[in-house]
Amino acid sequence: MSRNPQKIVFDAVAKYGSGREAVVQILTEINRELGYIPEESIVAVADAVGVSNAEIYSVISFYSFFSTEPRGRNIIRLCTTISCEMKGSREILETIEAELGIKAGATTPDGRITLETTSCIGLCDQAPAILVNDTPHTRLTPDETRRIIAGLE
Amino acid sequence: MSEKKILTATEQPDTGSALKKSLEMTSADVVFEVRESEIRGRGGAGFPTGIKWNLAGAASGSNKMVICNADEGEPGTFKDRYLIENYALKLLEGMTIAGYAIGSSHGIIYLRAEYPYLIPIIEKAREDLIRENLLGENILGKDFNFDIEIRPGAGAYVCGEETSLIESLEGKRGVPRNKPPYPVNSGYLFRPTVVNNVETFAAVPHIILNGAEWFQDLGIGDCTGTKLFSISGDIENPGVYELPMGSTIGELLEAAGAKDVQAVQVGGASGATITADELERSLSFDDLPPGGSVIVFNSSRDLMDVLENFLEFFVHESCGQCTTCREGNVRLLDAVHLIRNGEISSMEELEPFFQLAEVMKIGSKCGLGQTSPNCFIDIVTRFIDLPDGKGGA
Repeated sequence: MSRNPQKIVFDAVAKYGSGREAVVQILTEINRELGYIPEESIVAVADAVGVSNAEIYSVISFYSFFSTEPRGRNIIRLCTTISCEMKGSREILETIEAELGIKAGATTPDGRITLETTSCIGLCDQAPAILVNDTPHTRLTPDETRRIIAGLE
Repeated sequence: MSEKKILTATEQPDTGSALKKSLEMTSADVVFEVRESEIRGRGGAGFPTGIKWNLAGAASGSNKMVICNADEGEPGTFKDRYLIENYALKLLEGMTIAGYAIGSSHGIIYLRAEYPYLIPIIEKAREDLIRENLLGENILGKDFNFDIEIRPGAGAYVCGEETSLIESLEGKRGVPRNKPPYPVNSGYLFRPTVVNNVETFAAVPHIILNGAEWFQDLGIGDCTGTKLFSISGDIENPGVYELPMGSTIGELLEAAGAKDVQAVQVGGASGATITADELERSLSFDDLPPGGSVIVFNSSRDLMDVLENFLEFFVHESCGQCTTCREGNVRLLDAVHLIRNGEISSMEELEPFFQLAEVMKIGSKCGLGQTSPNCFIDIVTRFIDLPDGKGGA
């Protein structure tokens, strides 16, 4: 059970301070715990730091790891940059899309998994690669990919 | 020349030995040694590290900062990940020496969001160093305090540019600043700030222990030391290779086992695309960009696929601040589609796009917009057959 969004902001401010330079860290904490950054958190961060809601929103919209829409309990980030593409990332993408019945950018209806494509994740020597939450999976085959997906809660 | 492992050698100098030696020197002498080594920034831009440290050390202002740029996001580069996975202690020791050299007690590692699994490795290294009194308060009994904080990014390629990185650390959108002022005078929270790449810091303990002259002798001319390269693509043994600076691209490809080479992308998407006839060219600040990313394409690859992939990357990663970069990359990607559809069938029709590429180079504030047209120019002028719109293969 995740905590109340305002409580997360309160605790993050206690940890990182309410200076402007803490904003990305506070947002990271909210995004990590809830999977996204809801409007009430944006308002709470803006109040705590003393800037406008729009200012906080502009920061969120800049970074690819932040989302203002609810996402799945697990996030799969599939690298589509060239070294992974040459080693078959397209086939892995098709495998995941078929397995989950969703397109990249979407979340399964049961809220289990969000699938995203991403720029280079620095695993080019072990392509094709994905990040599942905080864990890298490399040298993927379609079978291995299906096995990883099946293991996600 | 073949592989020359210093930073990635199995046998490493004792942890803390370079820091101990540094603390027995004056801070000015440490800066001098680094300056004499002529090491240049390993992130790719190649600014002389010693000069940076000298400027930051001499700058007026308190609470000076040592920041490690661990935001490697250039397509095809993973050398900093490899260094952190295997040599985190050397990175932290190099940062601590930098702290002593410029008079700073606070270091930050800005770690890209895509590397969350490296955080426990860095944290463990930090704890080990604190236990050994090589980090923290009164380091080795001296009147010198230094600690290091890890600050994860949130996913933005442009934050590898040092002023964007600083903006991001300040809790803002990571858009590049106008320079001057330079970070050495006014960086993080207006404090004098040194920003160096992971590999640069990791090289520092070796320079201190072995001396500037030893480091110079490892490289060629004013491109000193060894350099780490990340190789991927169509080769037998992708991975990280350490070679003397100034080695040829052919020597690197031989080490990594490249059999069939149509083209090589050197320096990442923003670097240079060369043909198989140019393997004698050197990886140095005087020739091919030695930032670290090398991607090999064999004869089955259509370079138009590569170009399209790179431009999609730049369209996505442009921060949007400069019109030339924000709009220019979109237009270059349009041109790729027009070439592929056969709607552009001659070099004359491409002329406006080459002009646009020049405008992007001079009209963009940071390296992203200044270098993103490189792949377009290189691939379109050297690999594309018009009017069929194929790039080799």
